[in-house]
Amino acid sequence: MNIRNELLCIWSAVLFVIIFTIGIWPLTHFLPPHLPTASAEEIAALYQDRTWQIRLGLFLMMGCSGLVCAFVAAITVAMKRMEQGAGPLTYTQLSAGSLGAVLLIIPCLVWTVAAFRPDRDPQLTLLLNDMGWIMLFMPFTTFVVQNIAIGLAILGDRNAAPVMPRWVGFLNLWVAVLFVPGGLLTFFKKGPFAWSGVFVYWVPLVVFLGWYLVMFAMLRKSAINAHHESRLAASVLALDAIKADQAS
Amino acid sequence: MSEHTARRTPHLPGETGVWVFILGDMLMFAAFFIVFMFYRGEDVALYAKSQLTLNQHLGAVNTFLMLSSSWCVAVAVETARGGRPRGAQVWLLSAMACAVGFVVVKFFEYSEKIAAGFTLTSNDFFMYYYMLTGLHLMHVLLGLGVLNYLWFTLRAPPAASTLRTLESGASFWHMVDILWIVLFALLYLVR
Repeated sequence: MNIRNELLCIWSAVLFVIIFTIGIWPLTHFLPPHLPTASAEEIAALYQDRTWQIRLGLFLMMGCSGLVCAFVAAITVAMKRMEQGAGPLTYTQLSAGSLGAVLLIIPCLVWTVAAFRPDRDPQLTLLLNDMGWIMLFMPFTTFVVQNIAIGLAILGDRNAAPVMPRWVGFLNLWVAVLFVPGGLLTFFKKGPFAWSGVFVYWVPLVVFLGWYLVMFAMLRKSAINAHHESRLAASVLALDAIKADQAS
Repeated sequence: MSEHTARRTPHLPGETGVWVFILGDMLMFAAFFIVFMFYRGEDVALYAKSQLTLNQHLGAVNTFLMLSSSWCVAVAVETARGGRPRGAQVWLLSAMACAVGFVVVKFFEYSEKIAAGFTLTSNDFFMYYYMLTGLHLMHVLLGLGVLNYLWFTLRAPPAASTLRTLESGASFWHMVDILWIVLFALLYLVR
């Protein structure tokens, strides 16, 4: 396997995190989050005052979300090593992870619609703003399934030298549990379980970032190890061929 | 017990990795508890008034079930250590029976509250009540899956890893137990 392609996909995670952070933080000011209790006029004013920054920020956030696909592919390659050939968990991760990228892109597009005509009726801007926030933070299902698939694959690794340490498997299972409370934002406009709350916005954001860092480091190590192994196997074969040559 | 005291190196039950999950989860619940106590401090009267509507008897029954279940799992591990996997399976089944009892009691408790008109959005106290006990209930259901898995592990021919897997699962179940004890104290009892 070509290690350069694999490392390229793994490093795309870093690019994604950097660009997404620039988009969500200094440009759109969607970090810290809007308050679900804000009035239509307050929300409309945010889009009117920072129209071009929000448009550019969302452009970047949407634009870098495709990189998630490359990262998901890198996880898929590592999982194929764990399952010794693409097993059901590998395919589960691949499809759930790819859907996860869609769930990042769509909210950015909905917010973009809000920023497209900032002077429309504030109630409509409020509606679109709500849609964006709920679409980004409520759909935990693909992320939970993806993390459980990764966790189970790591824990079920029967290779003599496991692809990733087992604690990373348990970490993935823990992350899966952490994403669940986000789904309950539908019931709350204030407090820790609202979309602006600590357990829906801040904790998942920090955990998501931490998960990216851990997976990045582990995937990088796994790619390099696999590459060394295949090179070792290749040189053993070459050595055998030379010996056979000399013998004849 | 003598073999335990004779052991020089400290013994971490289960495999090391599982503690990433357990400590991470406990960290999460610790954050829940801190947030709950903080907001309770802002409006003690409302929380105290709402707390009076909780059924302490059902809460106490569930505490008893949770503790019994945890004890059954502990005995199951000891029995398996003694080389009797069949006996350990029976203890695991008892633990699962207690856990199912916990879920059933919770179902009646929720029904009673909903019938009385207290829901997730009634007030802040009930938001925490349903969210925290609900997330804990999710852990109980996960734990039932884990105990079930342990039961099947014991059915397979004994391997070196069996005991370690058993300890890992048992540690998770004890965590679910501890979280409930804290939840019971915070939601039902604290004055």
